[in-house]
Amino acid sequence: MSTAQLDRPKSVPVDVPPGRRGAIRRLGELRETSPGRLQLILAFLLTLGLLTGLVAGLTANAAGSGTDDLGSRAQPLLVEAETIYSALADADTTAAQAFLAGGLEPAALTQRYDDDLNQATTALTSAARRTPEGGATAAAIRELASGTAQYAALVATARANNRQGLPVGSSYLSAASELNRNTLLVQAQALFRTAQDEVDAGYGDARSSWWVTLLVLLLAGLLIALLLVQRRLSRMTHRTFNVPLVAATVVTAILALTAGGILTAQRAHLHSADVDGSTPVALLAEVRILALRERGDEALTLAAHGSGGAYETDFQSVAKRLDGANGLLDKAAAAVSGNAADAVQNARVRHDDYVAVHTKVRQLDDGGDFDGAVKLAIGSATSATFTAFTGDVGNALTDHKATFTDEIGSAGNGLGLLIVLGPLLALVVCALAFAGIRTRLEEYR
Amino acid sequence: MIRTRIAVAGAVALLALAGCTDDGPASTEAAPQPSVATSESAAPVDTSCQPRKSLQPTGTLPAPGKMPAGSYMAEIQKRGRLVLGTSQDTLLFSSRNPFTGKVEGFDVEMGRQIAKAIFGDPDKIQIKVIAYDKRVPDAADGTVDIVADTMTINCARWKLVNFSTVYYDAGQRVLVSTDSKAKSIEDLGGKKVCAAEGSTSLENIAKVAAKPVPVGLPGFTDCLVAFQQNQVDAISTDDVILAGLAAQDPYAKVVGDRFTEEPYGMAMSNEHPEFTRFVNQVLAQNQANGTWKATYDKWLGGQFGPAPKPPVAEYK
Repeated sequence: MSTAQLDRPKSVPVDVPPGRRGAIRRLGELRETSPGRLQLILAFLLTLGLLTGLVAGLTANAAGSGTDDLGSRAQPLLVEAETIYSALADADTTAAQAFLAGGLEPAALTQRYDDDLNQATTALTSAARRTPEGGATAAAIRELASGTAQYAALVATARANNRQGLPVGSSYLSAASELNRNTLLVQAQALFRTAQDEVDAGYGDARSSWWVTLLVLLLAGLLIALLLVQRRLSRMTHRTFNVPLVAATVVTAILALTAGGILTAQRAHLHSADVDGSTPVALLAEVRILALRERGDEALTLAAHGSGGAYETDFQSVAKRLDGANGLLDKAAAAVSGNAADAVQNARVRHDDYVAVHTKVRQLDDGGDFDGAVKLAIGSATSATFTAFTGDVGNALTDHKATFTDEIGSAGNGLGLLIVLGPLLALVVCALAFAGIRTRLEEYR
Repeated sequence: MIRTRIAVAGAVALLALAGCTDDGPASTEAAPQPSVATSESAAPVDTSCQPRKSLQPTGTLPAPGKMPAGSYMAEIQKRGRLVLGTSQDTLLFSSRNPFTGKVEGFDVEMGRQIAKAIFGDPDKIQIKVIAYDKRVPDAADGTVDIVADTMTINCARWKLVNFSTVYYDAGQRVLVSTDSKAKSIEDLGGKKVCAAEGSTSLENIAKVAAKPVPVGLPGFTDCLVAFQQNQVDAISTDDVILAGLAAQDPYAKVVGDRFTEEPYGMAMSNEHPEFTRFVNQVLAQNQANGTWKATYDKWLGGQFGPAPKPPVAEYK
């Protein structure tokens, strides 16, 4: 310890340029006199006020654009990803059912397949519009678009062959189905997950928590500073109130209340949009996706004519994920509210009905009555049960999509105003503070 | 048992490069015949046994619906249906009729005749479509009662299942596009040639001297899809299957001579030799009474002209 002190040079030359040294000295000298101190206080208040205004504007801007992006890009992308997936899965199931029916495919199924493909391509186009070039999402959408075209070509060839009674048609169909299940649906699922992540990130951006924290700190600091300055001034001058400074305090409080009100409301609406919008929408979307997979598994098990064990295993595991304990239907039931709650309740009952029919189909097929199994599986009663089920899920989805749109619209309210109002009120505070302290300063002239 | 089988197979393979016990070692009845040693030519083909020889029928054919107690046929009769393993994409032999959705053809008809002999009703049959590489295991473990699926009888398979007598004689050729200059499979060196996975055709392609590239797909119609999409240059399998494929594509032609012999038989588990004897008896009866010829005319006559003489049944 002592050696270290001994080793030190006696005098420490401070390497500060003369100008700066002068400025520091002048600042130090300012603290010595009353007017000097007042000048320092004024500078501090002005800096704090301007900073608060700037941050208020930036916070409102960040929260506003985050909310906007969530509502106009991330969430619609999620919905489109779900549409792409559902439409492709349904197209596959429909094609398999048409194949099972034998003969010329029923017009209703052809229509349904065409509609599915239409939906998928429309959703792909609009998803592409929402996605910036070059990202992983854009790549997934490009691959899906070209894969869907290839898929449609294979199915068209299958149909042409089927019309001529050539068995190779069914091989084209299974090639198409393989492409759909093993490539397209996998990509669509990945797109759905990416969209989900983007929605989560979107909520983070919309909340802009770092900016809001900074703004709260600055507003609190400004208020406290104004109050302390007033106390000091009243002690110095024996006057109870400095009117401009009181006004500045009031304006700051108004700014704080306005910003607080707008941001709190935004967060409340974001919370509702998440809890009553995005969360149930994602859950219901997944329910529909899995249900379509069940129906597809059933058709493909039958189409494999005895060697479709893998599809049936998949059916069982998917059914478990849907209606097992703490399964997706449970979660969806817990997440929905209002009309959608009834719809989900209905959906659950109809899903049970459908699974019961499926069990019957399997019994018939395993018992050797293949024709009976096919008849039951693609018969109008079973189709009606299943369509009613997906219809219920669809109704609940529409409900919660509307909730999301409403809430996200409300969440954006006032943020535009705050972008202008924040800096403006801060300028007023600065002007008032300047006015209030200048009158005191002039007393020293 | 299994260990014995492996030991026997191993010993025979060591001694004679390849060996074949005619009957399954699991069979309680027939003692394994001594395997026939082949020359040292080291052909990878298992030619040690006489594949065309099956089990000799005994006694007279039981009347339909009156299967002898304790036999496997009685078991089938009790169940109420015969489970036939076949494919649904081999035009003429067993393919799904796109108009009706039913699987039909020469092979299916063979199965239906067995069902008729057991029940008196050919419709008491459950068709199970199995992949080509599942034909041997599914017959061996009883997943299906019998396989009739353009299945070549050979010694390697005889080790795992029992075969009926030959019900059709086919041979492998090659299908190319109409503008191809290839005259036979020997002109397809380095080209991709497709066949079903688990078929003898795929193995045979790999043995061709010109070294074409074998490509395996689940079924032969899948090969046709790949051929039409220019993913493979040719398809090579039994002439009758190729005829069915060529009938679906006017831009395909079948070229070259038969370069293999593919005797078709029905495969069954080797645990029930009485069932194999029964099937052989039904085949013999149907060849004698003209049923075989009628079936040929119905399914193959249109492609191949009048029915030839049915294959001569050979027994051990």
